[in-house]
Amino acid sequence: MIPRLSFERRIQIAFGIGVAIVDLVGAASLRSTAATVDSALGVAHTLQVRAQLEATFGKLIAAESGVRGYVITGDTTYLAPYRWVRATLDSSLADLRALTADNPAQQRHLDSLAKVVAVRMERFQWSIDTRRTGGAATAGRAVIGGRGKELIAVIRSLIGQMEDEEARLLAQRFRAMESRARLARVTAWGGSLLALMVGILAPVLVGRELRARRQAEERLRHMVDSVRDYAIYMLDPTGRVVSWNRGAEQTKGYRAAEIVGQHFSRFFTPEDVAAGRPAALLQAAAADGRYEEENWRVRKDGSRFWADVVVSAVRDERGTLVGFAKVTRDLTERKRAAEEMQRSAAQLEAANRELEAFAYSVSHDLRAPLRTMDGFSQALLEDYADRLDDPGRDFLERIRVASQRMARLIDDLLGLSRVTRSDMQLADVNLSKLADQVAGELQKTEPDRRVTWTIAPGLVARADAGLLRLVLQNLLGNAWKFTAKRPAAHVEFGATSHNGRKAYFVRDDGAGFDMAYADKLFGAFQRLHGIAEFPGTGVGLATVQRIIHRHGGEVWAEAAVDQGATFYFTL
Amino acid sequence: MRDRSILLVEDNPDDEALTRRALAKNNIQNEIVVARDGAEALDCLFGTGAHAGQPMAPEIVLLDLKLPKVDGLEVLRRIRAEPRTRLLPVVILTSSREERDIVNGYGLGANSYIRKPVDFGQFVEAVRQLGLYWLVLNEPPPKPGAA
Repeated sequence: MIPRLSFERRIQIAFGIGVAIVDLVGAASLRSTAATVDSALGVAHTLQVRAQLEATFGKLIAAESGVRGYVITGDTTYLAPYRWVRATLDSSLADLRALTADNPAQQRHLDSLAKVVAVRMERFQWSIDTRRTGGAATAGRAVIGGRGKELIAVIRSLIGQMEDEEARLLAQRFRAMESRARLARVTAWGGSLLALMVGILAPVLVGRELRARRQAEERLRHMVDSVRDYAIYMLDPTGRVVSWNRGAEQTKGYRAAEIVGQHFSRFFTPEDVAAGRPAALLQAAAADGRYEEENWRVRKDGSRFWADVVVSAVRDERGTLVGFAKVTRDLTERKRAAEEMQRSAAQLEAANRELEAFAYSVSHDLRAPLRTMDGFSQALLEDYADRLDDPGRDFLERIRVASQRMARLIDDLLGLSRVTRSDMQLADVNLSKLADQVAGELQKTEPDRRVTWTIAPGLVARADAGLLRLVLQNLLGNAWKFTAKRPAAHVEFGATSHNGRKAYFVRDDGAGFDMAYADKLFGAFQRLHGIAEFPGTGVGLATVQRIIHRHGGEVWAEAAVDQGATFYFTL
Repeated sequence: MRDRSILLVEDNPDDEALTRRALAKNNIQNEIVVARDGAEALDCLFGTGAHAGQPMAPEIVLLDLKLPKVDGLEVLRRIRAEPRTRLLPVVILTSSREERDIVNGYGLGANSYIRKPVDFGQFVEAVRQLGLYWLVLNEPPPKPGAA
């Protein structure tokens, strides 16, 4: 898979491609221009050769005419062209040789031409000499009989060949020039087209990317700006504020215009500034990438707030530190609340300790006098029975009953306080099984009573097993107690749904109670029945309520006089 | 040599009287030595203070927990720390049913933990069983101090 390149890298690559295309087109044009110049030089060269050939041939023709004139007239002035040819012929041939130095075929032609021209020149000389020594008639014969005509024909043919060769070269150079020009055109057009395409496509792609970036940036800025509970801002690497959001304004009190460009150390307390905390903070963030602390900070108005500060180092692709992102949250309220809670917890704990000490003392000291009262009443009954009449014995019995009742009250009170103080150990408790056991224990106390127990199976709840046993002992115990006067009773334990929560219930068909007093039901030492009617200390339901509340649940009852009662609880 | 004596550590005279009565009602004839606080109990057992040179080797110690000077749990701890009394049967006899008292009592090596009931009838029954078990049925450890 091709790794996803960064936007910057892609722009660099695209730009490189564009430059390469332009370079290619330029190089092709340059080459084509150079080739054109080359070809033009070649053409000029060809024309020069031809001109030189024509000139040389022309000179020979002029020499020939001159020599003839002299032979006919004997006038030496006719010899001027010949003399001129003689003087310049070698240099003309040398010029031609130099011009065609790169072409072996022309050089060979030139060799032949030089030879034939030399022969012709000799014939001219001979004709002249003959005229001077032998007179006009002899010379005229010599001229007519000489091979002057054929020689000129040969020369003409040689020059013609050389001209043809040059013409061929010229055509070849033209063709080369044309093909190069075509290539240059194709390259230029193709390159231009490609460059045009890149030029059209690049802005579209770059524009799209930039738009996406701008949108992303805007979204981010909107998001950051709309955050009010967090101060979010940027620092440059030296710690100067670069950006500022609304949350920062709200938290620290500065407006963006007055804080951007300022050093962030002004948010620190003077003690922290003196201790070099601002620099240390940035150093730590730069070293570890991130630094977090909770500490005091200072608002614009000088007030202090408890801040949760996170500083993150921001680095570019090459890892160079470009600044820091800071997120600060005002936790003053939370800290205050936490401290308040801690204080309350400490107070509560102190109160609990006191209560525990009190309970301990009650457990030990309040019972001792009761033992004395009961014990010595019994001693009187035993040792002085003969001196007591029935009312006297009855009084002592009453003292004993009251002592024992007081002892039970103390025990229940301690039990109630223990329910509040004990640690809860939550586990999955099988309430059905627990109810079965409690029912069995109750039945054992009075095996003859006819009570039908209906216990729904498989009810499991997350609770403290010991405390839940106490709940069931109290609720089932109450059901057992308040059905005591029925010849046959029915007690039910099950679960139902109440406001979407699972509610467990204990239902009996016993004495019930008047719902008008339902609000007194769960108060400690509150009783809705006379002691003589049903025994009890009035602590049982208070204990149940405390346990259920400790489990985060609720407990309530529905009843009618003589129609039984149902107690519900949730956990 | 006090042989089959009972050391009753109890600061409340009423409770002492009732305990004596309960023991008597159950025909427990053993000599009863009463210590009124923890320090006195330790003096009795270790032969120190008022009891110098006369360390006691009782059959059993009936120990209350809430005591003046040195409390019952500390007395128990010292008894168990001393080689001579390390194996001495100690029954905690107290008003408290606080879980931490029970746990600490057993943790320090109490042999039994009995809560004094308010109902004297029940107390007599408890003392009867206690006497039957510790003074009759139980085979006590050899007494290091006894000849």
